[in-house]
Amino acid sequence: MNLSPVLELTGIQVPGRQQPRLCDVSLRLEAGERVALLGASGAGKSTLLAVANGLLVPEFGRVLWEGQPRSRSRRLSRRQQARIGTLWQDLRLIEELSVQQNLNAARLAVWGWPRALLNLLVPVETAACAAALERVELEPALLGQPVTALSGGQRQRVALARLLRQEPLLLLADEPLASLDPRLATELLELLLRQAEAPRALLLSLHRPDLLAGFDRVIGLRQGRLLFDGPVADLQADTLAQLYAEGP
Amino acid sequence: MISPLRPAPPLLLLLPAMALVPVLVALPFLVHGGGWDLIAQFLLAALHPSLDPLVLGSALSGLGVTVAIALLGWALSLALGLGAGLLSSRTLWATAWGLRWPAELIRRLLALPRSIHELLWGLLLLQLLGLQPAVAVLAIALPFGALVARVVADQLDALPGARLEALRAAGAPAGPALLTALGPALLPGVISYGGYRLECALRSATLLGVFGLGGLGTDLRLTLQSLQFNELWSGLWLLLATMLVLEGLVRLLRRRWCLPNRFGAGASGVGRRGREIAFLILLLLPLLLLQARAIGVDPMVLLHWNPLPNWGTSLRPAEVLALPWASLVGQTLGLTLLAAALAVGLAPLLLLLVAPWPWGRVLLQLVWALGRLWPPPLTALLLLFALKPGLVTAALALGFHNLGILGRLLLEAAEAAPEGAEQALAVAGTGPRLALLHGRYSALARSYLAYGAYRSDVILRETVVVGLVGAAGLGTALLEALSSFAWDQLLALMAVYALLTLVGEDLSDRARRRLLRCP
Repeated sequence: MNLSPVLELTGIQVPGRQQPRLCDVSLRLEAGERVALLGASGAGKSTLLAVANGLLVPEFGRVLWEGQPRSRSRRLSRRQQARIGTLWQDLRLIEELSVQQNLNAARLAVWGWPRALLNLLVPVETAACAAALERVELEPALLGQPVTALSGGQRQRVALARLLRQEPLLLLADEPLASLDPRLATELLELLLRQAEAPRALLLSLHRPDLLAGFDRVIGLRQGRLLFDGPVADLQADTLAQLYAEGP
Repeated sequence: MISPLRPAPPLLLLLPAMALVPVLVALPFLVHGGGWDLIAQFLLAALHPSLDPLVLGSALSGLGVTVAIALLGWALSLALGLGAGLLSSRTLWATAWGLRWPAELIRRLLALPRSIHELLWGLLLLQLLGLQPAVAVLAIALPFGALVARVVADQLDALPGARLEALRAAGAPAGPALLTALGPALLPGVISYGGYRLECALRSATLLGVFGLGGLGTDLRLTLQSLQFNELWSGLWLLLATMLVLEGLVRLLRRRWCLPNRFGAGASGVGRRGREIAFLILLLLPLLLLQARAIGVDPMVLLHWNPLPNWGTSLRPAEVLALPWASLVGQTLGLTLLAAALAVGLAPLLLLLVAPWPWGRVLLQLVWALGRLWPPPLTALLLLFALKPGLVTAALALGFHNLGILGRLLLEAAEAAPEGAEQALAVAGTGPRLALLHGRYSALARSYLAYGAYRSDVILRETVVVGLVGAAGLGTALLEALSSFAWDQLLALMAVYALLTLVGEDLSDRARRRLLRCP
């Protein structure tokens, strides 16, 4: 049984041009936790997520994934990276490939070249891909479609299915609901929250405080600093107002 | 619906590299006894170019002549091409005189100079005019002019006609209406293409030198054949520096003036940069005149034609028919396909192989730059130190040269492609090679292959330049006919070659359109 937190940040500092993008941020994410990240534009939400998925190496501070730091070469190991899944705001689907090939792209970290090349030639691991689609409530018949043929909502779900097919332990999502209409946004959020059960953990950045219902915990960032970290119920209206207040 | 067993775009990109398999199988049979030490000496000499002032001086003056030939040939080709392009535009004829057929006729006629490689033009003009700097200039200007004409006419006719109609309806006369409606839209594409042609002209001027038409190419060939590798590299490094500066300059201007690059279109108009362009053109004119004087280009020599040796006695139809036509055409096509597949396929494969190492990419760029500037016949001569003459040797030489050109394009396209998908894969733990293959190659596969189709058509025309290694089809036969003054054979060979390149041009056009149309 692994008792270390899924993600542990201590004293993270990321310099910026005028003010630091992150300043002395510490947080722990335990297995099964669903955490919403709130803050105005430019508060450091995307930077925090980039630190969490290993894309950004902070100037100061320590990042542990399942209790493990980066290797000495400052890179994450393949295995570590495969366990961190990111749902990108722009989805980052590969437009020229089919839905199935996109879903299988999530397995490239563990596949060798032969299977990777085969995936570009014939349908590979159809059952697992169909299962991933069903988990996001899409028809398996879509597997053979090029992703360019999908609707906006379908694309969101395919991106989520790809994330699930990666089987990550840590789910990160950078404003996944930003460009969605209210109905699609609630549907996608429900799907995401349902997938984040122990041992998984979810960290999702949001700009809409009205969608906090399904989360266990909220983290509030303001100008790169941690302003609030606690249960959703403890988030008071004045804290919220402070998070989105203008000026220093 | 994507049907099963259809290679996805990134895989499509790697398929041409399968041509390596037959080459690697054939290679052990091609190697002859010695020669490897010579190749090793050649490679080692790259680190110790001769710094003898005499050698450097000779290389510099050779380079000066090559650059002058390239610039003059290029400028002349632009002037010829613009004129001929306007004359072969359907829009222009229809607007000015209400006719279309003259445009079609001129278009057909221009196909002929275009289908003949500048080397053949050079060698033919050499017979007619004697050894003159003007020969090399003209040899570049004629085929390049016809190529420019085609691009100008195509762009002109592809522009939407509504603006022109609006001006004409308002009573503007034909000339000003054409200039106002189509001129500004035409300019970015033509200038961008012109920059690319200048790079081509430098390569062609070097190549013509290899065949004795003056400039640095002649020095390169002589030093290679006398095994003076250190002196050879002095010239090569100088040429490399010149080419990289020129390419950098063209890229800089293209960016500064917001011109379309060769991958895809989408010009945003020249706009305020118009004055800079006009100034640069004005600056160029006296420079060209000075250079023409410096290397002794005399337009008057064009009026004095030498009689061709053996002309009267060489018309023997029986011998022309006796040439092994089927095998000549077959070899030419085989050589083209093999060289094109090697060039098109190896560039993405090599880039993939070095993906994990940043310095690997730099090394690759250097090797590609050398491939671009190193004329294919010299590569062929170098390969002959270790390999037997033949089709594969010729294909390797031609393939290496075109790999340099395609590799640079691929790298530019890869760097311009959005990085999101590749980054997403890398963050999810995918290795750098597979991330590049899936994330970036997917997006640029079709446009790259479409450019590869165009390049194959250029390679078909270029097969003549490696004709000197033997067994390389029509090119070898052509060079033999030229050197034995067998004019009847030469004419027949050139006609067949021209026909072949025209068919090839049409096929590559279709392939390109198909590649770009598919979703």
